[in-house]
Amino acid sequence: MSLQSFSDRLLSEISEILARYPQPRAALLPILHACQRESGYISRDTETAVAELVGIPAIDVRETVSFYSLLLDKPAGKYHLQFCTNLSCTLLGAEESVAAACRKLGVHPGETTRDNRFTLTTVECLGACDLSPSLQVNDDYYANMSAEKVNELLDKLK
Amino acid sequence: MMEKILSRHFFNAEARKLSFYLNDGGYEAARNALTQMTPQQVADQVIRSNLRGLGGAGFPAGRKWSFIPKDSPNPRYLVVNCDESEPGTFKDRHILEWTPHSLLEGIIIAAYAIGASQCFIYTRGEYLHYARMLQAALDEACQAGFFGKNIWGTGFDLDVLIHLGAGAYICGEESALLESLEGKKGWPRLRPPFPAVSGLFGCPTIINNTETLSYIPAIIRYGGSWFAGLGTPQNGGLRLYSVSGHVKNPGVYELPLGTPLREIIYTHAGGIRQGRKLKAVIPGGSSTPVLRADEIDVRMDFDSLAAIGSLLGSAGIIVMDESTCLVKALAVLAKFYHHESCGQCTPCREGTGWMARILNRILDGQGVRDDLENLLRVAGNIRGTTICALGDAAAMPVFSFITKFRDEFESHVLQGRCLASK
Amino acid sequence: MPTLTIDGQQVTVSKGATIMQAAEALGIYIPRYCYHPGLRVAGSCRMCLVEIEKAPKLDIACYRQAAEGMVVHTTTEPVKLARQSILEFLLSNHPLDCPVCDQSGECDLQNFYMEFGLYQSRFLENKIKRRKAFPIGRHVMLDNERCILCSRCVRFCEEVSRSHELGIVNRGDRSEIALREGSQLDNEYSGNVIDICPVGALTEREFRFQCRVWYLNRAASVCPGCSRGCNIELHYNVNRPHQSGGKRVLRLKPRFNAEVNKWWMCDEGRYGFEFIDAPSRLQDFEIRTAQRTVVASREQAVQTLSDWIGDSIDRHGSQSLGIFLSPKLSNEDLYGIGKFARHVGIDCLDFRNPSERPGYQDDFLIQADKNPNTRGCLELGLYRRSEDSGGWMAGEIQRGKVRVLIVFLQDLALAPEFQQVLGRLERLVFVGSNRNGTAEIASLVVPSATYAEKDGSFTNFEGRAQRFERAVVPLGSAVAEADLVASVAVSFGMQREEFERERLLSDLRREYPFFDQEALNPPELEWVYQTPIGQERL
Ligand SMILES: Cc1cc2nc3c(=O)[nH]c(=O)nc-3n(C[C@H](O)[C@H](O)[C@H](O)COP(=O)(O)O)c2cc1C
Ligand code: SF4
Ligand code: SF4
Ligand code: SF4
Ligand code: FES
Ligand code: FES
Repeated sequence: MSLQSFSDRLLSEISEILARYPQPRAALLPILHACQRESGYISRDTETAVAELVGIPAIDVRETVSFYSLLLDKPAGKYHLQFCTNLSCTLLGAEESVAAACRKLGVHPGETTRDNRFTLTTVECLGACDLSPSLQVNDDYYANMSAEKVNELLDKLK
Repeated sequence: MMEKILSRHFFNAEARKLSFYLNDGGYEAARNALTQMTPQQVADQVIRSNLRGLGGAGFPAGRKWSFIPKDSPNPRYLVVNCDESEPGTFKDRHILEWTPHSLLEGIIIAAYAIGASQCFIYTRGEYLHYARMLQAALDEACQAGFFGKNIWGTGFDLDVLIHLGAGAYICGEESALLESLEGKKGWPRLRPPFPAVSGLFGCPTIINNTETLSYIPAIIRYGGSWFAGLGTPQNGGLRLYSVSGHVKNPGVYELPLGTPLREIIYTHAGGIRQGRKLKAVIPGGSSTPVLRADEIDVRMDFDSLAAIGSLLGSAGIIVMDESTCLVKALAVLAKFYHHESCGQCTPCREGTGWMARILNRILDGQGVRDDLENLLRVAGNIRGTTICALGDAAAMPVFSFITKFRDEFESHVLQGRCLASK
Repeated sequence: MPTLTIDGQQVTVSKGATIMQAAEALGIYIPRYCYHPGLRVAGSCRMCLVEIEKAPKLDIACYRQAAEGMVVHTTTEPVKLARQSILEFLLSNHPLDCPVCDQSGECDLQNFYMEFGLYQSRFLENKIKRRKAFPIGRHVMLDNERCILCSRCVRFCEEVSRSHELGIVNRGDRSEIALREGSQLDNEYSGNVIDICPVGALTEREFRFQCRVWYLNRAASVCPGCSRGCNIELHYNVNRPHQSGGKRVLRLKPRFNAEVNKWWMCDEGRYGFEFIDAPSRLQDFEIRTAQRTVVASREQAVQTLSDWIGDSIDRHGSQSLGIFLSPKLSNEDLYGIGKFARHVGIDCLDFRNPSERPGYQDDFLIQADKNPNTRGCLELGLYRRSEDSGGWMAGEIQRGKVRVLIVFLQDLALAPEFQQVLGRLERLVFVGSNRNGTAEIASLVVPSATYAEKDGSFTNFEGRAQRFERAVVPLGSAVAEADLVASVAVSFGMQREEFERERLLSDLRREYPFFDQEALNPPELEWVYQTPIGQERL
């Protein structure tokens, strides 16, 4: 598997991205985002293919992918629950929401449910402390979470 | 005199639109700057405004611009720091959501002043939706001819690219941001050279915070002296205070620099929830030294806070009431810095993890007598020895929490007892 | 040209020089982990923090440039404390492996701890567990627990070998050295990462558990692997060869030479020393007749050779003698042989093996000519200029002109030109260190000393003559080629003293001005690939 496994749509998106940057390497993060949107995570093969596209050593892509929290090197569930547990959210009870979600889904933070629907992680400040405790599900923000609201939300998402 | 600049239309979705902004006199300042003023005249107004960097370090914006070498043959870049990851800070998000054109207009003016025809806006990856709102605003402005080639027939070109980060607090640090923008992991650079001399792709680069740039249009429109007059001496203008934690009304409040912290908490943010008592306040984002309840009469400006041993930082105010366990609070922050240290330099890489582990052990009731001294010692060994300021940022809360709330820490370590009132 | 003061001593350095370099010029050693003179400055370990007057905080000596009037302190309390604390940080997650670590004795964690550390450990937490010793390439083992993330190895693979196998993945204290899955550290220069790793994180598979480094002796030498002539150190152990399977020479290390190889050497050269203690070594003089082969004494062998030469000259003139030299011989040996040849009137000489093809070459160190001394042979004129290879000598044998041939080191039996004709010779003499096809059919076999067993010099492709020094004694009865010739030459009226090695060299320098080079002065050893501390243990 390599570049051939990229869809035409992804390849054309990538070439559009590349065209926008003064240097191909600068397009690395946007390209990785595009790949992750397509397949949910960035496989080692994708890393190699992207390295080739951008013209850099594959280990450099490995370094980059492993450095950033939002870039996943293994698949996450359909819904990626990212609970903020930084200070403002913790002050307002973030831990109760996390505990409620863990209980309901039967997982620990960092784990994915067996049916691959939910991945639960705790994250650092989401820049939404006015909405504390805050939660991001995939790309969407949720405000003022509580154990109760977590349960409701999970029911809806199931 | 106007009381608000950026927050006038917060929570009004219409304000995001170009037509609304134009009706409000938008882009006039930029047009004026480009058609009537020289870049130096623009910079002079900014210097006169006393506008200081609102990303955290508070460096005077006009002075920073003047560091661009006059004779460099390389292209110049303007980079907008919209990484906003300092815990307790969410003002830039509000700008993206409610007044993106203020930022965009500020970008035109700043780019003109420094002679950049390419601008990158580095936004944290989590802000995808907000980045899309900004993109929509940018598309509208491009269509109106405010960006692109030969803007307003002046021969000045400017392109803007919105670039999404991927989840790393350190990429808010300007040199790490540049590395990240170049497609690398966010390892801060050694300095000198400073970005103004050698920044993005080795070219002269000015990096400013989102909020800093968003105030530029008003400064050009009403004059630097007008803006300076809104604040305290040397601390010009208004700024956006993010207030969170145990207050009744968390949110962003736009107030003059120098507004007393007490007023922000009690008058604007509605005071403490459930009638509880205030215990501690972090005044400027998680990296700034904590204040005790009896210190909140301080004026919220760079110099007044520095005078009492703290910092204004990003003006992210985190309010903690009497129910807060400060050992726990500090452990949360220590975990954050441990998680976010880039790992490049020894003291921060090893020290942040060490401090986090000691604090966790204390919380688990396994503290030993030496732990507090050891924490202070480790923090002291990190402070001033690292490549970037994240090391200091990790150390400062440890010093301030332990020295200001020693009894709470000792009670945890020695008696395994939490002093927070539940 | 700023002038600055370090620890009370003034020094003037060139513009752009760092405090580290200025200190070095004064002989002041500043401890360092990430800094390596051959690599881009990383400035990340923070071990080199020094105090600069008027600066708000300590600064790193490896990056901060010297400035006019700067006053630097490297021994004050804040500096000591900083060094101690960096060591404490580095050791906080470091395993207690020293008793089983090959680096022990040349480890900069150990060394600096003894010199600058010695604090009371206050680390109560569990250490981070990581992957222990595992091979990451043909020659290199990685131990992630021992790694201090100085990034020297990564920068080496980026900047020097330009092969980009290594990286630092993850973030914070989860960071570690990694390769891409399924890939290997397999560039031509991989062994250098072992040398520059300041700790025992990268160790040599070949050297693993062979010998504690403090039992090693060192000799300055020159790699015989190709015509670059990388400067090297031979590390050998004569007291405990039983611990390393009878091997005396245990490893080669590059020796700094700014013009030739800087701090580096290639793997081919580094691991090309096995022949020195290999079972194929010739250890005895052998005289072979159609019926049998007998081991002879040195005297017998010399006598036999002298007789054969004298006899052939008497019967057929000196044109009946041929000498096939080798570009692996030292300048001294070549010169000695040439001197003798001139004396007795042998002019049928060459060294260019017609079957030898150029080998692999790159744009860094490795040269296509796998011989260390081709240039020396050329400068000494020990070949027939009108021919472009040594194949002509096969014709002389074929025509019956050459009847006695003395072959040095080379396996002429492998060259098609010679295969056919060697059988026509009356006498075939082989002088060499290791057994080969030519030795098998020679009527006299003389075991010779390798470059590790004698003093000498090679001339590299650029014309740089470089000395190497003897590390170990010749194996068995092996002799240096010029010594053999000396013994023979006395029967032809020459003085033995003319062949003493220092004399050979000084005559050579006098007679051939080309060889009168600075680089031929005796080399000095510096402990360049690790810090000098701890050197006294070796
Ligand atoms: C660890 C660290 C994180 C930072 N994060 C941010 C950030 O998220 N946003 C920001 O504007 N500045 C951040 N900064 C400050 C920037 O390095 C830089 O000073 C700022 O972007 C300059 O813009 P200004 O002068 O307009 O404030 C951070 C600094 C450090 C050391
Ligand atoms: S201080 Fe921390 S974040 Fe900054 S470079 Fe060093 S390890 Fe990285
Ligand atoms: S393996 Fe050695 S050279 Fe490489 S980073 Fe680790 S300590 Fe440094
Ligand atoms: S490049 Fe040549 S001389 Fe240098 S180490 Fe390799 S083989 Fe030896
Ligand atoms: S602390 Fe949770 S969003 Fe800021
Ligand atoms: S040697 Fe200077 S920071 Fe590592």
